Amino acid sequence: MSERKQKHCTANTVINISSVSKAFATRLILDNIDLDVARTQSVCICGVNGVGKSTLLRIIAGLLEPDRGSVMLCGYNLRKHPEKAKPQLGVVSHKSMVYPNLTVLENLSFFATLYGIRDSTSRVEELVEDVGLFSYRYDKAGILSRGLLQRLAIARALVHRPVVLLAYEPFTGLDVEACEHLINVLANFTNNGGTIVMTIHDIKTGIRCCDRVVVLDKTQLIFDAMFSDIDTTSFAQDYLSYARSKN
Amino acid sequence: MRRILLLVAFVLLLASMWMALTLGRIDGPAANPDSPVRNILYAHVPSSICALLCFVVLVIASVGFLCANKPTWDLVAAASAEVGAVFATILNATGMIFSRAEWNIWWTPSPRLITSAILWFLYIVYLILRANLPGSQQRRARICAVFGIIAFLDVPMVFISARFLPDIHRPSFSFDSSWQTMALIISMAATLLLAAVLIWLKTDVLKSKARLEKESLN
Amino acid sequence: MKYFWLSFKAIFVKDIVTELRAKQVLPTMIVLGMLIVWILRIASETASISTAVMGPTALWIALLFSGLLAQERSFATEQQQDCIYGLLLAPVDAETIYLSKLFVNVVMLCIFEIIIVPVVFLCFRLSVQNRWLALIGVLMLGNLGISSVGTLFSAVVQLTRTRGSLLSIVVLVVLMPMMIPATFALLILFGDVPDELVGSGAIIFVGSFETAVGYMIAFDAIFVVACWLLFGLAIKE
Repeated sequence: MSERKQKHCTANTVINISSVSKAFATRLILDNIDLDVARTQSVCICGVNGVGKSTLLRIIAGLLEPDRGSVMLCGYNLRKHPEKAKPQLGVVSHKSMVYPNLTVLENLSFFATLYGIRDSTSRVEELVEDVGLFSYRYDKAGILSRGLLQRLAIARALVHRPVVLLAYEPFTGLDVEACEHLINVLANFTNNGGTIVMTIHDIKTGIRCCDRVVVLDKTQLIFDAMFSDIDTTSFAQDYLSYARSKN
Repeated sequence: MRRILLLVAFVLLLASMWMALTLGRIDGPAANPDSPVRNILYAHVPSSICALLCFVVLVIASVGFLCANKPTWDLVAAASAEVGAVFATILNATGMIFSRAEWNIWWTPSPRLITSAILWFLYIVYLILRANLPGSQQRRARICAVFGIIAFLDVPMVFISARFLPDIHRPSFSFDSSWQTMALIISMAATLLLAAVLIWLKTDVLKSKARLEKESLN
Repeated sequence: MKYFWLSFKAIFVKDIVTELRAKQVLPTMIVLGMLIVWILRIASETASISTAVMGPTALWIALLFSGLLAQERSFATEQQQDCIYGLLLAPVDAETIYLSKLFVNVVMLCIFEIIIVPVVFLCFRLSVQNRWLALIGVLMLGNLGISSVGTLFSAVVQLTRTRGSLLSIVVLVVLMPMMIPATFALLILFGDVPDELVGSGAIIFVGSFETAVGYMIAFDAIFVVACWLLFGLAIKE
């Protein structure tokens, strides 16, 4: 099986969100959002419940069409050139997006086939080792624990060697060990040249995993800074106070 | 403008009703040639044309929405579905009354009756789908537009497929005078005008409702 | 084209394997089908309706309602763990997803028919003499028609998390026109067309098996293409 000819992303700006707006029925969720994400950056999008974080992520993933504006992934418009943009992207969410009645290997082989991966067998075996699922490879996904399922979800998201990883609340329901494992996987991903955009509730985990934070509130991005440029302790306190005041 | 058109439509309807009741009898093969129920044709025939035309409006609006993605198209589709459902109900009801009076049966699976029954079902299912689909308005509109197009493709298929069955009753009628033809034409014009105005009115009602919802949420 | 076949095959095999392992839908389909056939057999006996007339009716009713079960399942598996997003995120066309799901539904109905057709033959004492190929052809055309519309609206109903009963009314109302020539074709095959139907329809060539099959081919062609083209729009958020 020959691999799809995937042009590896060489652009410095990997994600370019330009003037994106989205309304649901009569409620405006996002208004003229501009966001550029550079290669190897890991961005954490914060905000209280219902502010539009998942909407923004789904627009970046191409699952939702913005009312206005555009999203470019490695220079490709997701809507106009999905066959070029989609292979650049991997998505992890709090739901695993794997089939419960298929085994770990079967799930990964299925997605490898969909992405046109040439050496799917060796790629799948390599991934299973990397995420620590080797001894569970013949087990059905439906019987895996939450932590193991999340590892499978990460493996599924990385099977086609994407350049960008979108993670929506990836730490939801994970215990301490699983969280640590996920943090290591994400760190390896960026060390190998990948870019991450994630949404999380826990700002302290965000500070650990990411190097940049943006805060979404009332349809706008109200804060955007690198963690290296700010006092993360006071930022965390301020953010928690802000989040409490919203509730 | 709408009030004037509505007034014109009602005047035309009254005129056609008066002409229907005062201008001779409608001949045709049946047991009771003097039955005044035959005058129901003046409502039945225009209703059938309106029911079909409303479907055409529905599918044009559905295609329009899918191409242009403007909410107005969706509202026109919704309005024409409601108005079309009303006319389809009148079509079937008047058909059944006529059938009972002429042939002593309420309904029989003849091609025309099957076609009008399925047309009614298609409208009703469209309205039920519209009322019960969760999710965003845009998604609901898109799905209803898809169903509208599929349902429209179904109408000629129904028309042909019903021809496999024997047309046991072949209703045919003739008029005594050209005034009766005139009455039918006037009735047709009135009903078409009424349908157009009702679609227009309903679209505006739906637009106002959407605007109010937006204002109350914002 | 190569990637179309790879994706198509992958989704098809995945669905078949999932169903064979879960064993949820096929047994339910078969039991429902058999119940429908039995009930109609009893009704035909009670009302003294000819078995050759009731047999095709029972077969199509069983196929329709059991087919609805198969179609509901086809996207119910994608609802678990948001798997549909996994499919939509991959570089696979929505049209490819539709065609592979359509093919899965056709295969499921074929498996169902292999079991239910002999049951109908036994219950209603039917035979097609030597016209087995014609019978298979008619059933396959019916399968395709039912699956084409059912696959599209199953996706709509499941992915919007709407009540499953909506799928029944949407699919049945669209499929109604196909049922008349489909039943007619089987009546001709089983050799018992009621006298009032022969040569007296609105179409002058009615009574011909070829006409009925021709209609079914036209219906399938129109609706497979229409549903295939509209599928991407129907599942878009």
